[in-house]
Amino acid sequence: MLRLMNIIAAAGEGGSEPSLMDPNLLANVTGIVVFLVALVVLWLFVWPKITQGLDDRNDKIISEIQSAEEAREQAKSALADYEQELAKAREESSRMINDARAQAKELADELRAKNEQELAERMARANADIESAKSAAVADIHSQAAVLATTIAGKILQREINPGDQQQLVEESLNELGSRN
Amino acid sequence: MNLLLAESGAPHTPLGHVLDKPVFAEWLSVGEIGTMSTQILTMLLGAALLLFIMPRVAGRIATGPESAGHDRYITRGRLSQVVEVMILYLRDTMLVPVMGEKTTRKYLPFLMSLFFFILTMNLIGLVPMADAQNIIGKFGWGDDHWSVIGGTPTSNINITAGLALISFIVIQVHSFRELGVRGFLEHLTCDLTKGPKFLWLVVPVIFVVEVAGVFIKPAALAIRLFANMVGGHVLLATLILLPGFLPIEGLGRTGVIVVSAGAAVLITFMEIFVAFLQAFIFMFLTAVFISLMSHHDDHEEHESHDAHGEVTDLQPAH
Repeated sequence: MLRLMNIIAAAGEGGSEPSLMDPNLLANVTGIVVFLVALVVLWLFVWPKITQGLDDRNDKIISEIQSAEEAREQAKSALADYEQELAKAREESSRMINDARAQAKELADELRAKNEQELAERMARANADIESAKSAAVADIHSQAAVLATTIAGKILQREINPGDQQQLVEESLNELGSRN
Repeated sequence: MNLLLAESGAPHTPLGHVLDKPVFAEWLSVGEIGTMSTQILTMLLGAALLLFIMPRVAGRIATGPESAGHDRYITRGRLSQVVEVMILYLRDTMLVPVMGEKTTRKYLPFLMSLFFFILTMNLIGLVPMADAQNIIGKFGWGDDHWSVIGGTPTSNINITAGLALISFIVIQVHSFRELGVRGFLEHLTCDLTKGPKFLWLVVPVIFVVEVAGVFIKPAALAIRLFANMVGGHVLLATLILLPGFLPIEGLGRTGVIVVSAGAAVLITFMEIFVAFLQAFIFMFLTAVFISLMSHHDDHEEHESHDAHGEVTDLQPAH
């Protein structure tokens, strides 16, 4: 700075020598006028466009951020809804499964009971059949035996019986009995 | 240093490269102290470039046609993106915390015009137009001082004074509109009149200092910009002319040439930075002076704004 002052001072000392501090009214006035012209032109045609562009972009960014936030909120609430629905559906389905299981069990129990009952009935019937067949057979045997006895008795009564005859008679009767069965 | 001073009368001086040079003075001069000069012509060229480029940049930053879809919000082109980033940074990080949202909106066109105007003038000064013409003149007709256009317009105190005058007017108009005459005068006493009675004693002193400050602030703006631009260019010219001043020959001289040329390249990069920095400082200090001359409730508003931090930067325009 001191050096500069020295140079300025040295240049100024010469009197007629040109100096940095020489006043030049034309430079001064031209400077002002040129700046004012530039100011007016820039003010009218440049800065409004630029500030408008920057503001537009700002607004755009803000609105984008806001809409993104809204979308996020919406997504969040939709997710909550969905999860709620899902939980409800899960509950519903498990209830339904339980119901079905209970129903199936009930049905199975019913079926088993029915089967058992039927089986018991059948067995009872079969037993009864067996019993009746047995008693019928016994009755038959009784009647056959009676008839046989009667026949044998008749035959015994009709002829004299010798041991050979007796033997023959018994065999005859047995054969008769055997062929009947 | 002595070498430089001793040589100041010689054709090649570091100062010669930053001095304004009259051109077409026969046709274009105003009285005794106004002549057309190379720096004025450079300023006209710079302004023409600025007014040619900026509308195109604005067209690219502006929201595109509806048909472009989401792409219409995207800025294309390197220059446009750089300009956009600078505006966004200056507006949201620098000006809004100082001036508040409302005042920034109001003064943004003026402050941005100021910034880009000064930036253009600073940068165009780094283009060696005058030097190129010197070379043409030297090889063309032997006049190695021939140049019509070139130099840094912002290294001319007259031009920076003009810009500072405009800043001064804007600051004062803002002050009176914001505070009124009474408020303005109270502001110049730092509101001490509302304090304890014994402070009335210092009010005249404060008042004088503050009134002087009203004029010193813009004067400092003018001198700061001018001196920074001159300083950088003097340094550059010194480095480039250094080998010519040294009474050494041969390898030593070559070494000095290499070192000083390398240093000059580095300083040129620094000058690019300084071009941005000084444009920013001129613009930002104007903003600070405007905000200083605002209502005090405004300051509270700024603080509450600061508390919100980055998020409020995204708020849409009010």
